[in-house]
Amino acid sequence: MREFVTKRLYRDVEGTCTGRYGYIIAVVAILEIQMGKVIPGHGSAEFEVKYSAILYMPFRNEVVDAVVDNVNTLGVTANAGPFGIFISRSYIPTDMKFDPHSNPPSYHSEDQKIEKGAMVRVKITGTRVDATEIFATGTIKEDYLSVIE
Amino acid sequence: MMRMQKNRGPKRPQAVETFDAGKLELGEDFQDAECLLISEVKVLLEAQYESKKEESNFTPVYLKTLEYVQKFSRYTNRDTIKEVRALLKPTQLAPFECAQLGNLCCTEYDEIKSLVPSIGDKISDDDLDSLLKQMDSLKKYQA
Repeated sequence: MREFVTKRLYRDVEGTCTGRYGYIIAVVAILEIQMGKVIPGHGSAEFEVKYSAILYMPFRNEVVDAVVDNVNTLGVTANAGPFGIFISRSYIPTDMKFDPHSNPPSYHSEDQKIEKGAMVRVKITGTRVDATEIFATGTIKEDYLSVIE
Repeated sequence: MMRMQKNRGPKRPQAVETFDAGKLELGEDFQDAECLLISEVKVLLEAQYESKKEESNFTPVYLKTLEYVQKFSRYTNRDTIKEVRALLKPTQLAPFECAQLGNLCCTEYDEIKSLVPSIGDKISDDDLDSLLKQMDSLKKYQA
């Protein structure tokens, strides 16, 4: 029974995402499984389980490193682990110009280049929480933000 | 002429965005939570990955995070991670700020103060500078 409840917990909560806790990436330890209750008039039972887990919650004004996923005229999308960040063109430094003819398409200034696969340091300006994912918007138009090696 | 109030239907719930990492306002659930370094998450996730490899039913979130932490982990060695933690522990900084220090790995105190503004005056520039230097040298000399 214990094993079943444990397995079920792993299956049900790992990889989910809520507005309150962000992403539940992995359950680390199960602290307590309470006595189950059979729900009257129903075949199922309910168990309360206390567990600790690794969560990932992006906050506004937090600085994160991300990998560029896509570059187009509107801006840049990047991934920081499970969630995506969109950096609008207006939040990219003005000296970085979009070059659709380069392969792959990129934003570049004289010494820096943003293209797919590049690593950028982004400040999160806002987050939107969906049922199954979090999406963030970010900026690299500030001191010490931009492409990193 | 009487002005009619237009009926705009039921009021839509507006997103309340009060959390602000720049001011260290993380909401009650996260305010006192322990914050892990990316390198620590890597150690934990890799250990779990090894032990559960046979079942091989990892969620996409898990795999994406694993890939991310492997890319951005600054400290490769478990002992180095412990030493960094030991350096950060005696400071007056909040868990979130400690994690940011360890993850962003800046070399100048101006830089980290600009990226994590909540640090502010919690720590003197000289102390912060020596802390960053020590962390940097740990990173350089890790096996």
